[in-house]
Amino acid sequence: MAAVNLNESARALDRAMRMAGVTSSDKESFLNWAVGSLWRTFKDERMNQRIMIENEVRGLGLRFPNGTVRKEYSVFFRLPVDKISDITLSGADELGLVFAAGEDGLCSLSGKPRTAGDFTLRLRYRTVEGEPVSELAIPVAFNPDPRELWHNIPTDPDIPYYKPDCDSEYVKVEAGADGAPRKDIVAASQRGRSHAREGKARDDHFSLFHCNDSDWYIIAVADGAGSAKYSRKGSEVACKTVIDHCKNLLADNPGFEASIREYEADRENQDKRTTVTRQVIDIIYTGAMKAHEAVKKVAEANDEAKLKDFATTLMFAVCKKYDFGWFIASFWVGDGAMCLFDEKTKTAKLLGTPDEGEFSGQTRFLTMPEIFRDPEVVSKRLRMSIVTDFTALFLMTDGVSDPMFETDRNLNDYTKWEEFYNKLSSGFPDDEIKGVDLSDDNETAEERLLGWLDFWSPGNHDDRTIAILY
Amino acid sequence: MRRLPVYLLLDCSGSMFGEPIEAVKNGVQVLISTLRQDPYALETAYLSIITFDSSAQQLTPLTELSAFQQPSIQASGCTALGDALTLLAQRADQEVTKTTAEQKGDWKPLVFIMTDGEPTDDLNKGLAEFKKRKWGMVVACAAGAGANTDTLKKITECVVSLDTADSATIKAFFKWVSASVSSGSMKVEEIGAEATTLSELPPPPPEVNIVI
Repeated sequence: MAAVNLNESARALDRAMRMAGVTSSDKESFLNWAVGSLWRTFKDERMNQRIMIENEVRGLGLRFPNGTVRKEYSVFFRLPVDKISDITLSGADELGLVFAAGEDGLCSLSGKPRTAGDFTLRLRYRTVEGEPVSELAIPVAFNPDPRELWHNIPTDPDIPYYKPDCDSEYVKVEAGADGAPRKDIVAASQRGRSHAREGKARDDHFSLFHCNDSDWYIIAVADGAGSAKYSRKGSEVACKTVIDHCKNLLADNPGFEASIREYEADRENQDKRTTVTRQVIDIIYTGAMKAHEAVKKVAEANDEAKLKDFATTLMFAVCKKYDFGWFIASFWVGDGAMCLFDEKTKTAKLLGTPDEGEFSGQTRFLTMPEIFRDPEVVSKRLRMSIVTDFTALFLMTDGVSDPMFETDRNLNDYTKWEEFYNKLSSGFPDDEIKGVDLSDDNETAEERLLGWLDFWSPGNHDDRTIAILY
Repeated sequence: MRRLPVYLLLDCSGSMFGEPIEAVKNGVQVLISTLRQDPYALETAYLSIITFDSSAQQLTPLTELSAFQQPSIQASGCTALGDALTLLAQRADQEVTKTTAEQKGDWKPLVFIMTDGEPTDDLNKGLAEFKKRKWGMVVACAAGAGANTDTLKKITECVVSLDTADSATIKAFFKWVSASVSSGSMKVEEIGAEATTLSELPPPPPEVNIVI
């Protein structure tokens, strides 16, 4: 049958040529020309079709959003599957991603990117039978995990005035003779990520003391200036000096104790207030002065350094519980926060004013002699409080207060302190940071508090130190 | 969180066509890839691209580095630098968060301007708007002999020049911009203040000359 048909077509072709006037001698060359020319037209059209489809695909403006390494990535897009086939996305596998094209044209690219960097994926597809495979390059970028960029390089122990990269302490004060629980102190200090990344030392410091005989609590926290090369020593000397000074003056001071009681019994009495204030100045203000002098002495002993190389802030408080409540006296120079927080009365009382203007980094330091020349130094920096009770007394460097409170106004807002207290106890579950259980005599709070200080806050990677009397 | 806004003002006039504009595109790409590796910049730096030819347009609004995508940049037309400064001032008003009692605002923006010719529009009008705002570091770069450093000095004290607008030189400039953004984002965190003079930036490479 096929042969008959072929003969029939050949005869039809013959007839058509004869009618058009093609002579027998021209027949072969005409046929060659006709087929060749039609074939070229055919190919051109096929190519044009491919290019049109390619332009359509390019015109979709496919762009993949940036992802983050090892974080779930997924993007959806549509391709004209009625016009293209055999779609692949070359390079996806190597990046740890899976490409899928659905029959309805809905495509997806998903998975967890294996490596960070800038890459090019190639979308390959067929358009028209016989045409080469088409290709479209699509860039994609995966960010590194910012947390992995913060390397932790231990501080060289041979540097002058070396101190460990972190520190923590728990001062457990067990119930007294009457069986009533007594407050404890917990403190932790963690080197900031910005220092850890460069193997630089921690500049913060804290010191704690509880006197068993007199029941006085003494807490000091200091933040060595980031720009001062030996501030780690400045903060250490400042803390230790005030603790020693206050310890000695408070261990056995019946005169001071009597003044406190007399003042408390008759708070309107100006004379009694003056008496106790004088004694507070003697203990607290002199303590701060001594800390200044002590840092100065260390600086003078070092030939290649000046006092400002030891620049540090300082806050410290002495506290004692009486039958009428708590007596608290404190001194504060520099930024950070010192606050008496009480859930029952819903109060958060800042024990001073942070030395921070509109721009941070303009803080005052203990090491600035003008601090003590300021006639208002006592009224500005000294605080004396009597309260029935409190939930916690917080002392913290700006490495903690900045990310937690942001502005000075928030530091004066009770609700912000409540939020802070909740964050302390709940931790940051998303970042796998556990909360701190501040219950009496819970010594594990020490380790928890140190771990809590690792919280993540973009742009806040300063040293962090916090001391809590609770 | 206090962001560090970074505005790039790029001349895309006809004279930039060819090698210079390709080098600028490449430079932006390298800038982004490099900054993504820097934890300070990745957390704090936000980037916007404003281009100017016969008029100015913001190709990319202020965008965090991790989400930033290279815009399509083409060269044609004149050099509307004045218009670009006006647009910069307007966009910064919109995009940069101001400090309030409850919230610390963004750091003052870093601005890098690159041009290869004299402005063809009214520079003074844009300049007036620009000067009304507070900026952190503003660096103007005269790329090649066609740019006038005296004109750029009206915008900022910090003017640098490139002898030629070839790809190697433009690349060096962008590398320096990248290093400056890195050190700027580290500085705001460590010292708590923006850089304001050239001496606070990393030293420029030999291809980038400081104009005194």
